[in-house]
Parts: sequence; C-alpha cells; structure tokens
Amino acid sequence: MHTVEFEGVSKSFAEKDVIRDISFSVKEGEIFGLLGPNGAGKTTLTRLLLDIIKPEIGEIYVFGASLSSAAKDRIGYLPEERGLYRKTKILDILVYLAQLKGIPKKQAQLSAESLLRSLELYEYRSKKVEELSKGMQQKIQFLSAIVHDPELVILDEPFSGLDPMSARTIKDKILELRDTGKTVILSTHMMEQAQTLCDRILMLNKGRRVLYGTVDEIRKEHGKNSLIVEFAEKEGLNVIREISGIKKVTEHEKSAEIFPEEGTNIQILLEELVQRAEILRFERALPSLNEIFIETVESAVNE
Amino acid sequence: MSKFSGKIFTVAKHEFLKTISRKEFLFMTFIFPIFLAGIIFIPALLVSTASVEDQKIGYTDMTNSFDFPESSSNEGLSVGPVGAKTSTIYFVKYENISEAGNALQAGQISSYLVIPENFLQIGIIELYASGKGVPIPGDELMGELSDIVITSLLKDRVDEPVLNRVKDPVRVKMYNIGEGEKPAEQGLAEVLTNFGLPFLTAFILFFSIFSASGYLLRGIAEEKENRIIEVLLSSTTPSELLTGKIMGLGAAGLMQVAIWLLAISLGSGYALPVKIEPALLFLSLGYFLLGFLFFASMMAGIGAVTVSLQESQQIGGVFTFVAAFPLIFMQLILTKPESPFAVFLSLFPLTSPVAMLARIGASEVPFYQIAASIFILIVSIYGVIVLSSRLFRAYLLMYGKRPGVKVILMNIRAGNM
Repeated sequence: MHTVEFEGVSKSFAEKDVIRDISFSVKEGEIFGLLGPNGAGKTTLTRLLLDIIKPEIGEIYVFGASLSSAAKDRIGYLPEERGLYRKTKILDILVYLAQLKGIPKKQAQLSAESLLRSLELYEYRSKKVEELSKGMQQKIQFLSAIVHDPELVILDEPFSGLDPMSARTIKDKILELRDTGKTVILSTHMMEQAQTLCDRILMLNKGRRVLYGTVDEIRKEHGKNSLIVEFAEKEGLNVIREISGIKKVTEHEKSAEIFPEEGTNIQILLEELVQRAEILRFERALPSLNEIFIETVESAVNE
Repeated sequence: MSKFSGKIFTVAKHEFLKTISRKEFLFMTFIFPIFLAGIIFIPALLVSTASVEDQKIGYTDMTNSFDFPESSSNEGLSVGPVGAKTSTIYFVKYENISEAGNALQAGQISSYLVIPENFLQIGIIELYASGKGVPIPGDELMGELSDIVITSLLKDRVDEPVLNRVKDPVRVKMYNIGEGEKPAEQGLAEVLTNFGLPFLTAFILFFSIFSASGYLLRGIAEEKENRIIEVLLSSTTPSELLTGKIMGLGAAGLMQVAIWLLAISLGSGYALPVKIEPALLFLSLGYFLLGFLFFASMMAGIGAVTVSLQESQQIGGVFTFVAAFPLIFMQLILTKPESPFAVFLSLFPLTSPVAMLARIGASEVPFYQIAASIFILIVSIYGVIVLSSRLFRAYLLMYGKRPGVKVILMNIRAGNM
C-alpha cells in the first residue's frame, strides 16, 4: 500500500507557481527523501501533505484516502522553522501536542515520559523550554513529532543546527522508526544525508520534479560509465597506458578514473590490470546525489 | 463528543489554563479592584479621619470689633463604615501679639491669628504657627472665620434671615420627574447609581474585553513568532484553533468580569448606598461576551497578518484607542445619554458594548436601541470572523514580511485561501 500519493498536484502563491504538476508516491515503511535546494517547493509540498494549505489542481491521498482530520492525527510533523512555547514545561508541551492529535491525556503522559527516558531527558521534564540548551530543545521538538506514535512522520531538515552527537541520536531514532514499520518522509537539502538514509527520493527544482526513484537506480542511471582504480604504488598509474580499450583517464595521486571504450569487457580489463600492478580498489564510479543534482540543475538552466 | 469539538475543547482548556496562570491576569483580577477601591475610598477616609482632632487657636483682635465664640464644633463627612466624627476648635483671646507668641511657644495653642487694624480695607487675617512649613488653615477654620467676620459686620444692620443667606447663600436640591410619577428627590445614593455605577461598569467592561482580546493577540503573535503555529496547524484546522482560543480566553475574561462584578456588589453594599440591578448585571455579561467576540476575532486577524508581537500590538492599539472613545467621552454620555453622539457610540460596534452599558446605567434607553446595538454587533461579529479566518488561513504561516494592504484585500476578496 502507498502511504502517500500525489497525482498531478500544482499550487501557486500570488500567481507564482510554487509546485507544478507533481506526482509521486511513498511506500509504507520506507524512508523517503524529499530533496532540492532552498526554495524548490519542499516546504509547500509538506504543507500540502498536512492539509495546512490546499492544492489548486491535483489529488493527494494519504493512507489510501483523501486527507481527513483523522488521517492528520496519524501523521507526525517536525517543521523546518522550529519553536516551542518558551515558558511551558516540556512534559506539558508534549502532552498538549499529543492531545491535539486525539490521544487521551493519561496515555499522552505515559508516551511522553517514555520518550523522554529514551533520550535521557526525563530528569528535565519539569523544566521550561527556555531553560534547556539548544540541542535539547531540538530533541524535544523531534519528540513532539512522534509523541502520538504516528504511522507517518514528516521531518523537515531534522539535522539542521544539530551537533554531531545529537545528529547521531536523531539519525538512530529515524532508523528505529523505519524498523518498527513507520513511514518517514525526510525533507532536506543535504544530499549526503539523503544518500545514506533514504530508500527512495523525489528531487525538486523550482517546483518541478527532476529526479524520482530509489537512490541506487538514480545513481546508476546517472553514472558516467567509468571505473575507479586505486594502486598500491604511484607507478601503477603507468600500467594503464599499456592497456587497450580505454578512452580517457583522469589521474589522481595513486588512483585514476578510467573511461572504457564502448564494448570493452570490464572483466578482462581488470585481469590485465591485476597482472601488471598491485590493485587496492577497483569499483564502478557512481556519482553522488549531490553531483547528480548539480548536473541536473545546470542542464535545466542551460535549456 | 465529536473529534472536531474535542480538539476545540483541548485548545480552549489549554488557553484558559495558560491565561489564568499568567501573572498579569491574576494581578488584574485581584489586585486591580483593590487598587481601584483604594483610589475611590482612601481620600474620602482621609478627609473624614483628618478632622477628628480638636485644636486650640489663639487670636489677637487689633480692631476690637469681632466676636469670637469660645468654641465651634464641626461635623465631619460620613463615608461608608466610618461614622461622622465631630471636631472642635477652641478660640483663646490674647491682648497682644507677644502674649499669643509666648502661648504658642509654651504649646498651649497650636497656632494664633492676628486681625490687623486695617482689616476692613485689606481683608487679610494673619495665621502664625510654630515649626517649619506653611501653616494652612483647614476648611473648618476658614468657614468659621468667614462666619465670624460676616456676623460681626452685619449683625446690627440686617435681620436674621438675611444674615443667614449671606453666610450660606444657596443650595441645590435635585429632582427627577419620571413618567406619571411624583418627582423623586435625588440624593447622594441616586447620583452614585446614575453616574458612578455606569461609569464603573463601562470601565470594567472596557478593561476585561481588552485584556482578554489582548491576550489572544499576544498568544497568536507569539505562536507565530516562535513558529509553533505550524505544529498546531498540522493537528488542527485554523478554525478549530481560532474557535478554541476564543472560547478559552472568553471563559477566562468572563471569570474576571464575574469576579469584579461580585466585588462591586459586595463592596457597594458595604461602602456605598448603591444597589446593582440584576438586569444590568445580565446585560453586562452579555455585552462582555459580544464585545469580546468582536474584538477577539479582530485581534486574531491582526495577529495573523502581522509578523511580530510588537507590530501586532501597535496595530491592535489603534483599534483599542477608538474603542476607548466611550471612556474619553464618558461625561457626555452620562449627562446627555440621548445626544446623537452618545447614541452613535452606543450603536457603532467598536464602541457599543461600553457606551451602551453606560447609557443604560444613566438613563432609560429605548428598547429598540438596545436591540439595534446588539443586532449590529452580532452582524459585525459574523463579518469579522469570516474576514479574520480568511486572513488566519492565508497569513498564519507567512513569516518575515508583512503583506501589503493591497494583497491583503485581494486575499479577502478571493476568499479561497
């Protein structure tokens, strides 16, 4: 089943298109990356998904049906623009936000307490938000998005402003969510994180869909069909010139990117290299999401 | 309870509890009435207690033509539980100034008067006292001196009634001729009921409406400023949020008004000879609710459009100033409750709750006017709620830059945000 489905959705503000004809779906139990530079339309898409704003054209289905108030209660949301009531105790905030999702007060309290324990924040439960460090506030904000045990969690830039330790805690929590069968939508402009965390991605640029699919598929699709070879010694680089079927070589200190000619048997090429020099690494070069993104955006500009 | 109303209730309860635990709210609810009572009663109490001391005053009459009594008694003002106290001035005659001076030094008298030989030409009597500061003659002494001078100058020249009229020329008694009724004398109690009470009720109404809708404005601006509004809107619809907030703050405001009115009815029975009509009480609560709904919805719209707490309070302040007109023109409303201006203020929705209540307290307002003011208010409330919820939807998530007036008008007209 698809947790989320967008069919030809468009939205504009003050006659300016923010989202144009977007279609995609998010599968149950996956981490789905919503990528794109600032201003690409990620936040608008998230708000559409939460029914905070309505689309002009197109249909949005969540949990297999049109959006309803009941469906909203099954979604958790961490907005990019962070904030909590500064003068309220953190346990009270978590309980209030869970209650707004339709959770009875007692249950909300138990859930909030157990989450606070899991991040070792239980002793701060009676502290006001303004008394906590920024890192702790971010963690509390993250907990506020999952305190009602939602089936779909939408995280908008969850790592922004986090120190490495806190970022790791949040990353572990996200993986834990996926492992317990929750669906996670991760909206970010940080491609490295998306590459390591996400199963599938949707990349937006200026409100349009530019990439969509699993991370591996996309990287293979955009591969330049080159190989990376790393030698034990610098002299190994000389060996490459003795081998036929190579179109182009980019040399680095002890390694090189090789672009084979069309129809070259990679297996034979590797055998020839191994016979002539000590090889530490031999792999197919895949572009990072970041490289693919830059390439895609640049080609869009040139069009 | 349906899910919809459940969320409204959760928001309302949260807002109610948050508001009544605010320090400012507790201060306004409990300390403010005491403070107000203090302003009204303390001066009166001081006047009545200040005159209880008896005093001895010496005098030297260089014209030898004035008859001073040995003593003169005055009845003080009666205010509330403090009964009337009597004070007495004893006059002691001295032949010359040095004798009087010695008596003052010895502490036999508190001060002495000198009536100079040319008093008839200059009309000045000198008052001497020891110690620092200016000796200021009290009202009793001034009154007594005036009586002594008039009596001494006129006693053999005019008859008794004329003498009395010169001493105490005129008093005004007030009557109210109701329809088909006998003229009723208007005493202190009636004056207080007709002027003091309407003023007090209007004043209370103004403060409670504006403190409650001010909290609403502040709450929305704060939630917008600290961005939690986005989390709230991922759980509720804008109208659920708005309705919940208005209900919660309305309940807090209603509680405040009830406490104040209770304090007044208890206090008035104790300190002032005034009784509050149950109908007036009922209307006060009704006008509070309507007035609050009107202003709260308006403040919600302002809170949604503005980008910071400070800006929202500045814009809100403009409307509050207009709404304060009935207080500024209270004297006019109370003395001429049927004047076109007073009638206008009591119908115009920004000012009608406060102005109408003041008019009702001060005079018999025709029923159709009360009905019209309530009708206009209800229609305006509906209009403002529709308008504000559109703005609420359109601008609640807009940070950083306030939209221009043109764009706001366009969005209100479009109505599909």
